[in-house]
Amino acid sequence: MSEVGELLDQLGEPKARLVLKIGAHDLPVTNLDKVLWPGSGSAGPLTKRDLLRYMVRVSPWLLPHLAGRPLFVTRYPDGVTGKSFYQKHWDNPPAFVRNIAIYSSHTEGDGNYLICENLATLLWLSQMAGLEMHPWFSRVDLKPDARGRSRKFSGSEAALDKSVLNFPDFVVFDLDPYEYSGREGKGEEPELHRRAFNRTRDLALRLRELLGALSLETFVKTSGRTGLHLYLPIVRKFDYDAARSIAETIGRYALRQWPDEVTLEWSVERRTGKIFFDYNQNSRGKSLASIFSPRRHASGTVSMPVDWKQLEDVYPTDFTISTVPDLLDRQGDPWAGILGAKQDLAELLEQRTA
Amino acid sequence: MPRAIWSGSISFGMVTIPVKMFGATESRDIRFSLLHATCGTKLQQKRWCPTDEVEVPWTDTARGYEFSKGQYVTLTEEDFDRLPLSSKHTIDLSAFVEEREIDPVFYEKSYYLAPGERAEKPYALLLKALEEKKLSATASITIRKKEQLCVLRPLDGTIMLETLFYPDEIRQDRGIDLDKVKVSERELDMAFTLIELLKKPFDPSEYRDHYRDALAQLIESKLEGKQVVSAPATRETGVLDLAEALKRSVEAAKKGGKAKAPARIRARPTRTRRTRKVG
Repeated sequence: MSEVGELLDQLGEPKARLVLKIGAHDLPVTNLDKVLWPGSGSAGPLTKRDLLRYMVRVSPWLLPHLAGRPLFVTRYPDGVTGKSFYQKHWDNPPAFVRNIAIYSSHTEGDGNYLICENLATLLWLSQMAGLEMHPWFSRVDLKPDARGRSRKFSGSEAALDKSVLNFPDFVVFDLDPYEYSGREGKGEEPELHRRAFNRTRDLALRLRELLGALSLETFVKTSGRTGLHLYLPIVRKFDYDAARSIAETIGRYALRQWPDEVTLEWSVERRTGKIFFDYNQNSRGKSLASIFSPRRHASGTVSMPVDWKQLEDVYPTDFTISTVPDLLDRQGDPWAGILGAKQDLAELLEQRTA
Repeated sequence: MPRAIWSGSISFGMVTIPVKMFGATESRDIRFSLLHATCGTKLQQKRWCPTDEVEVPWTDTARGYEFSKGQYVTLTEEDFDRLPLSSKHTIDLSAFVEEREIDPVFYEKSYYLAPGERAEKPYALLLKALEEKKLSATASITIRKKEQLCVLRPLDGTIMLETLFYPDEIRQDRGIDLDKVKVSERELDMAFTLIELLKKPFDPSEYRDHYRDALAQLIESKLEGKQVVSAPATRETGVLDLAEALKRSVEAAKKGGKAKAPARIRARPTRTRRTRKVG
């Protein structure tokens, strides 16, 4: 029996606490019947056991996207309606967790970060209700497009600047609609609703077309909340500053082209009624929720990669912890080839502007 | 019929007549594009800020009134919206006057008014009344946010709308002084004779723009002689702009080294996510 099937069997045992056998490792899991998502509409509540099952089932698709990337996690110990915290550093993680020391200008010293490369680490995070995963856009591996870059990440900021971790695999665009449904409470962010999502989708399609005209192929996923994330995979010749600059330039261009749809404003008030084109995540140490990462939405939505051809037929709540594993079994991962689809932006710009 | 540039209604007393307005005149000047002489590409105008040395998008522009050299008071869209303007969709008739009372210097631009849907009857009535009484109607109209003085007059079965300059827009200082000039009876008689000789009814079809004809002919001959300049193969300009802009931004980022954009220290305002930087 496969590792996945074996673990699903173990999780089928109706006990609130178990010790999971994952290969050679033992992982105690507790409070399995604790509700993490209250459910909404026809979707019932989802428990920590549901989360663990989900992670087990999607792990063959998810783990490749996390490989080699420092990972931050948002933990929701009391479920998505309770308090959350964003965790970057881990002291004394279990032996199966891959650790990496990275210099932090914030603490002015090296910190211990984790990389999630195996099922045991993934489930250990789930046990701590670390359900939202934020991997870096850069990774420690040099193959195949960053040979010759340094792998010294600790000691000083200068060392980290020169290292491969300063060269992201993607330029990312976070499209976040600030059109309110009118049902939000005071000070709350806009909730998911059809009109806002359709506008965001239309903008994403236009951006794809725009970048397509430059022979650049982008990948799209639902954010799992209200918006869409677009990833442009690039050969690692540009550092984060350049990636951010590229994203900003595209954002400004989009603003000029579609001033009624796009906003780059920092104040929420001035974003209202438009789609916030957030290019600021293109920065070392910043991240977006990973594909397949569960999110803070009552029905247990996850960030789901979508084939561009299907984008017009989908809605964020189609993709939840309950629906995604079956969908993946049927259709596979539209982003599976993303790292093989890297584009040499430097060379392309030379050609286009020559 | 060309596209109406304005639609609304004529209003006087209790009567309103829906109308559409069209320009009555058009310039037929031959227009030229400004090219880069060395490569033949059509030049673009860009809004350039000499202080920041950047091209400025429309969204970053503001309107300023220069009240003394280099000093401006700026007005926002809201400010403009708050200004009093009479209704945007009516031509308010204020008085009926004889056409010859209005000196041609006041005429600014001519428009045709056409009756709106099912308004032929009241339109024809107003037209007929103006024709019979040989009168024009003074009125005001708001076109493109600007209130203008105008006059409605009948012409060949159409109500014309002529926008007029305001009196303070007509220059008073003419710099002409003829007080010391003496004209004799004899000289005047000679002038009368000359005038009589050339007197005839006005027929606009007799007149042509000879300069334009000559210019058109010159262009034609250049085309035949293949003295043609063509711009370098047109590429998708918009996308090309973007490619150029991307290249510049990448180069700027390289030069900037560690100079980081300020936005990174400001977290998304409503997010709980902290954005302190690692590394």
